[in-house]
Amino acid sequence: MDSFNNLLEGFATALTPTHLALAALGVLLGTAIGVLPGIGPAMAVALLLPVTYGLEPTGAFIMFAGIYYGGMFGGSTTSILLNTPGESASVVAAIDGNPMARKGRGSQALAAAAIGHFVGGIIGTVLLVLLAPTVAKFAVDIGAPDFFAIMVLAFIAVTSVLGASRVRGFASLLIGLTIGLVGLDEMTGQQRLTFGSLHLADGIDVVVVAVALFAVGESLWVAAHLRRKPGRPIPVDRAFLGREDWRRSWKPWLRGPVIGFPFGAIPAGGAEIPTFLSYVAEKRLSKHREEFGKGAIEGVAGPEATASASAAGTLVSMLTLGLPTTAVAAVMLAAFQQYGIQPGPLLFERESALVWGLIASLFIGLCLLLVLNLPLAPVWAKLLRIPRPYLYAGILFFASVGAYAVNADVFDLLVMFVIGVLGFVMRRYGLPVLPAIIGVILGPAAEQQMRRALQLSDGSLTGLVNTPFALVVYGIVVVLLLWPLLHRLFRKPTPPTEASPEPERPKVDA
Amino acid sequence: MRIRNWVAVVGALAVVVLVPPLLTSGADTTASLRSLRVLVPNAPGGGYDITARTAAKAMEDAELIRNTEVFNLPGAGGTVGLGRTVNERGNGKLVMSMGLGVVGSVYTNKAPSSLLDTTPIAKLIEEPDIVVVGRDSPYRTLDELVRAWRANPGEVTVGGGSSPGGPDHLAPMLIAKAVGLDPRRVNYIPYDGGGELLASVLGGKVAFGVSGVGEYRDQIEAGQLRVLAVTSGARLPGVDAPTLRESGVDVEFNNWRGVVAPPGITDADRARLVDLFTDLHGTPQWREALTRNGWTDAFAPGDEFGAFLREENDRVAAVLKDLGLA
Amino acid sequence: MHEAVNKPLSRAWLRERSELGVSAVLVALGVLVLVDAIRIHTDFAQRGPVGPKAVPIVVGVGLIVVAALLARDVLRGGRGEAEGGEDVDLSAPADWRTVLLLCGAFLANAALIGVVGFPISGAILFWGAAYALGSRDFVRDPLLAAGLSVATFVLFNNLLGVPLPGGPLVGMF
Repeated sequence: MDSFNNLLEGFATALTPTHLALAALGVLLGTAIGVLPGIGPAMAVALLLPVTYGLEPTGAFIMFAGIYYGGMFGGSTTSILLNTPGESASVVAAIDGNPMARKGRGSQALAAAAIGHFVGGIIGTVLLVLLAPTVAKFAVDIGAPDFFAIMVLAFIAVTSVLGASRVRGFASLLIGLTIGLVGLDEMTGQQRLTFGSLHLADGIDVVVVAVALFAVGESLWVAAHLRRKPGRPIPVDRAFLGREDWRRSWKPWLRGPVIGFPFGAIPAGGAEIPTFLSYVAEKRLSKHREEFGKGAIEGVAGPEATASASAAGTLVSMLTLGLPTTAVAAVMLAAFQQYGIQPGPLLFERESALVWGLIASLFIGLCLLLVLNLPLAPVWAKLLRIPRPYLYAGILFFASVGAYAVNADVFDLLVMFVIGVLGFVMRRYGLPVLPAIIGVILGPAAEQQMRRALQLSDGSLTGLVNTPFALVVYGIVVVLLLWPLLHRLFRKPTPPTEASPEPERPKVDA
Repeated sequence: MRIRNWVAVVGALAVVVLVPPLLTSGADTTASLRSLRVLVPNAPGGGYDITARTAAKAMEDAELIRNTEVFNLPGAGGTVGLGRTVNERGNGKLVMSMGLGVVGSVYTNKAPSSLLDTTPIAKLIEEPDIVVVGRDSPYRTLDELVRAWRANPGEVTVGGGSSPGGPDHLAPMLIAKAVGLDPRRVNYIPYDGGGELLASVLGGKVAFGVSGVGEYRDQIEAGQLRVLAVTSGARLPGVDAPTLRESGVDVEFNNWRGVVAPPGITDADRARLVDLFTDLHGTPQWREALTRNGWTDAFAPGDEFGAFLREENDRVAAVLKDLGLA
Repeated sequence: MHEAVNKPLSRAWLRERSELGVSAVLVALGVLVLVDAIRIHTDFAQRGPVGPKAVPIVVGVGLIVVAALLARDVLRGGRGEAEGGEDVDLSAPADWRTVLLLCGAFLANAALIGVVGFPISGAILFWGAAYALGSRDFVRDPLLAAGLSVATFVLFNNLLGVPLPGGPLVGMF
């Protein structure tokens, strides 16, 4: 109960009027800046770093926590409303959030996201309090073979989002993998598909790809087939979640943290892969599978709770190991160092008051975020009532600012345009967009972990399976693979394999 | 009606053309040398970023300069920013924050512009690397490690926090060369920064790690990591480990950071910039920032830095050529 | 594929099977990836069985295989279903004029941002896109575009310290 007492003291620190005000300010600033194009939570924290120079450390970190969570929430707002994710953690929220918004259920989608953030964040932070030392020890034991096993599992999961036509789904996935190849090879530093351009040496950011495929591709596609009937503005539904929404959302909210928290805590975990896994899991478990991709509330609730819990997980390894697992954590680590504080194994002893004040303020920040954002959801959703030409012009404007502001480079706009045209063609010919995004996320990570694992074992293939964790994951993979395969073996004589799927007629949905 | 349209268009044009200059004139960069722009070639929160922002803040606090603007232009290990700096030929109000990592990136990215094209202003700080193993590692001294490494370079893996060509990659390659091991046989595993490497060293995934000392001080103090050697010329305060030379490996290696200016600036501009950073070096604000961040002062102005830069460039080029990366 | 060869390669036939173009693009992409992969030297720096070439080769071969499968599917009568949506009217033929205007607005921004600054190029993007999509209010559109563009510029450049090019007159006052 030592942690509990410490936490109470932390609340005493965090609940002083000054600190409360700083937390509220952080949440507001974070949300406002997170909504801006091209500025994710990492950038938001970095930009606001100077604002906190004058504060004492505890106050500064309380404000950071607010900015962090606020920025994450702001990112999913644009993802849902405008189909332009501000950061990689909210890419998945766009898949079902945006269709919901288009159907006039924007405020429900935002509310599901807000509550998902709240629930995920609270559970994640509770886990942080209870498990920090244990998780930290475990996180260190997770190595390249384990990551690769998880990636294999994730690739298997991709098959459930390939859409009605498998061959078109695979085509999309391969396009994504190709985009993921661009850049310097991370293991040997050799150029791949860069055509000698320095601008491509770092690869193409998944957020740029997502915004291009989602927002630019969508705008061009709509332009080609714009409904010319007298403009019916997008209806804005009742302000809040209905009974059905609650019924469908509460389980995803609770499941999200289970996936998100451990991923956040392990090095190289991040938020992209867990949000995607959460999406796939919710799709599998849902009774409304056919609605996914067209506005299923579970597809927003689960991934958002996951993203938020993963943010809490990130803090575990940052506070206890000094290990930044995401860009935001790296910026916060730098901020700690600015104050002469080195996060690591001794932090909890040396800076007890600061750490527990920070953790308490996470709880407070999450509550403030919920209180501020739930009433705002319908207001935001009204944004979509503006006339279509302005809406799509605004989306393109927004996407361009985002792509340009980060590097101040016209090249990024051109990359975005080319991928946007690709998104247009994919829509025209029924290639689903989601597998391409997944390919960009999973491809480079899987390759790097596989090669790292093989290099660690000096080239021996046993390096891929030499940990118990990896074996367990492969066991799950085998079960998942064999189950439908056996099923099909009895029905059809030719079981489709991964590389050569039987092309199916796209009839049901795309 | 038409007139109304034209009035609207002209009004809009007036707004877009006139408002921005009116709002930015205060922070204008062409006003005088009392203002300076600092280009950071990596992302916010990265090493060059922190150095640049810390230096900018210290300059302003010490009233050496009225206005500094730090901006980020990340990409390709700093070479995108380098290209921009080289293109700003003659601009005496711009400097780029940089370091050893950019030297290697120029080669691995096959960048068209080199650091030798720039005008060196000052080297600011140094950070030695450490050769580090986990608490449970069988290696107690550098000698034991080197013997095992030479016998079986494939299985004795070395992890570093930078991609090939970066400081953490160069250090073990130089060590390998010095102990008579072909750098090509070194099994170097790049991690995404010192943090991710730390987990691998703690978890015993790699046989040993080579990285900057800064991020690891706490773990060393807590006894979770064992430092076998430091790469600097002298021992480090607070780290109980010999230097490489003391352990019989003739290598001295430091990661460093400094600032360069665009090529072709006037001598007066160059002198002013060198003076500015020399003044910065003398301020209490900068001293305090050095201690706070755990940086080693390694100030070297102008030509001295230029000579150092050429040396480093040659050394890096030689290693990377051996490896086929340059 | 045999039945396909016998049919006349008329325009209508190709039009009906324009999805073959997707196959062609995939093949081109696959070849590009393979050529790029073969170009990588692996005589150094590679350890273990999987080097920098392996994954590109798998992806490149995969692209070509999928392209072939897609072509087979199309020739057998399979069609990718164009994506529907709230704002999309698939019964109408594609309106290429709107698409090209929109592309023009986007590319104009990219081309002009470095020359005339963000406030102007951003306004052109917004107004151009709104015009392409059918907005014809010559009073409200330009003013809205200018306001949005300048507000964004001020927010990023002045308040957040993310520099955007301000335009030719910056520094004249």
